[in-house]
Amino acid sequence: MKIAALLAPAVLVFTLGACAGETGNGNAQDADTLLTGEWPSVESAAAGQEVNMYMWGGSDSINRYLDDWVAPRMKENYDIDLNRVPMNDAQDIINQLLDEKSVGKTDGSMDIIWINGENFKAAKDNGLLWADFTGQLPNYNEYVDSDAPEIAEDFGEPVEGLEAPWGQAQFVFVHDESKVASPPTSMAELAGWVRENPGQFTYPAMPDFTGSAFIRHVLYETTGGHEQYGLPADEIEDLEGRLEPMWEYLNDIEPYLWREGETYPESLAKLDQLYASGEVALTMSYDPALAASEVLKGRFPDTTRTFLLAGGTLANTHFLAIPFNSSEKAGAMVAINEMLSPEAQIAKLSPANWGDLSALDPEKLSPAQQQAMNAVDLGAATLSLEELENHRLPELSADYIKIIEKGWVENVAKE
Amino acid sequence: MWRKSKPYLLLLPAIATIVLLFFGGLFDGLLKSLGYFPAIGETRLELTAYAEVVQSDGFWESLELTLRVAVLSSILAGILGGILGVSLFLLNEASKTGQARVWHRLFQLPLTIPHLVGGYVVVLLFMQSGLLSKLLASLGVIDELTDFPVLVNDPFGWGIILTYAWKEAPFVSLLIYPVLSRIQRSWRDVSRVFGAEKWNFIREIVLPVMLPSWTIAVFIVFVFTFSAFEVPFLLGVTYPGMLPVYSYQLYTSGTFADRPEALAVNIILAALTIALGLVIYYFSKRWQVWKGWA
Repeated sequence: MKIAALLAPAVLVFTLGACAGETGNGNAQDADTLLTGEWPSVESAAAGQEVNMYMWGGSDSINRYLDDWVAPRMKENYDIDLNRVPMNDAQDIINQLLDEKSVGKTDGSMDIIWINGENFKAAKDNGLLWADFTGQLPNYNEYVDSDAPEIAEDFGEPVEGLEAPWGQAQFVFVHDESKVASPPTSMAELAGWVRENPGQFTYPAMPDFTGSAFIRHVLYETTGGHEQYGLPADEIEDLEGRLEPMWEYLNDIEPYLWREGETYPESLAKLDQLYASGEVALTMSYDPALAASEVLKGRFPDTTRTFLLAGGTLANTHFLAIPFNSSEKAGAMVAINEMLSPEAQIAKLSPANWGDLSALDPEKLSPAQQQAMNAVDLGAATLSLEELENHRLPELSADYIKIIEKGWVENVAKE
Repeated sequence: MWRKSKPYLLLLPAIATIVLLFFGGLFDGLLKSLGYFPAIGETRLELTAYAEVVQSDGFWESLELTLRVAVLSSILAGILGGILGVSLFLLNEASKTGQARVWHRLFQLPLTIPHLVGGYVVVLLFMQSGLLSKLLASLGVIDELTDFPVLVNDPFGWGIILTYAWKEAPFVSLLIYPVLSRIQRSWRDVSRVFGAEKWNFIREIVLPVMLPSWTIAVFIVFVFTFSAFEVPFLLGVTYPGMLPVYSYQLYTSGTFADRPEALAVNIILAALTIALGLVIYYFSKRWQVWKGWA
């Protein structure tokens, strides 16, 4: 026993060294056959593999959907052990992969990662993703509209088959019907509403994901629409000048915000808490069904409803990718394919499981599958799929988001 | 040979872990703060990140806030902890039953609560729509919830100071109590013979005995609050944030190219902490703190 305790660190050091030295040639050959071979051969290669899925772990309902719905099916149908590894932030996943790449680790522990937007861009730019694999997945080919802009691009960055769409999210505002009967439906109306109801509104501070999405709506509405931001950020003319109306708007409403804008909630969780305890009248979410599930849990009042801006709100797609150094790539492909099946997507749509919008093209589903999807009860607080669909705006590309988040600290928080 | 090297060998796993994780991380941070980041193709070493940090207002405002909060929380925790320790000591002197032990355990309770939980407790109790505010409003002491003073997420940092004072006072008392318990019961009797009142006894004997270890305890609290993250993150304001929060904001809201600046803040923070640690070490050696007095 004592010897073992002594040996452990030595073994650790040696195996770390060995891992770094390994070239992974055998791995590369296997990987090629996975990308060109027939699907049944991928399935048979996947049997018995243990697939680690690294993902943001902050939501009970999402975690339960994976552990109780997806994982048992993977075990039963494909003999794959799907092991969910919770992470605090998708950015931590990228940081860890970046570290693994810089030390030359070829047999990584991550097989599936859940990412999008800036994290996808960082992963793609630094070569952290495996290969163009989505064309191999039967469910992707059958049910996904790969030409749709929200599937072909991830926050403006071409996806190029490096990640498969898992679901979609759309930004909604949340209000209590009994307190705010007719909520503002444009940024101009919101500014007026905030003035009439001082202290009743605020948004999460950057770099919070939802707070950042909120100010992108301000950007679109105060600077004349999203079309102009199609170019990469370093090619657009006078970006600082273009952003000016947004900072002006945010500074104009600041004195009427919660705590006179002296501070902002550091996270969406804090804003939700302020809403739940009645300190502010509105909150927001990048998940259209989240309010409904908070009502189910009893955290939000029963009269909670969601609303959109008349000019539309941001929608984005979130994706599943396979890291460059995954050691169980076949298992990862089979698991991702399974999560794209209509059954898995319909189950995911139900607020009882998660309440996440489907990544599949409804037109490609069979009538029975379409019916099953429309029959899911989204809860009184969630808007209809049709209404959400008719008010979608494309996301801004990730390089702008970084500039805006940094600019907010300089132009709004410090002022 | 075996007998001699055995203790060192047994320490090896612990030391290896510390060296690998702690110093490894610190070293990695130092390299990246100098702009060395091969994964994104940066291999030069330069001090630009440090120059940028030192020239930004954000850093100095953050440092000022950090010092203010750390000084106030350690002094408050020191006073509270000192009073707590002396009271427990006197209680122990006076009572013969196990009553003192019950109090002792009760006051140690905050030690078992993680800082993050402590921070949330303060949020839930003291925010304007918190428990205390609602209680006062329903009792009619204040008319509206907004009349309750802003104690959480306030620019001065009262929420953070409050949390640390509450959380670290038992730690201070825990450190001074063993020293106090060395005071013999007979000394009290002797002091009585010479006509000392209770207050004289405390001032002439108890306070001088506990002073060295009390000072060190306050220093430790200071260094801890100086570099801790979670409580300021939960209870601070968006701008300025305390140094660890400032570094986190830099690290998460910029691109990879902004990382050196965030890590430079961390390295400066670590250097200040180590310097303070050396000061503590120096004084604790000189005063022979753990014996009580030189």
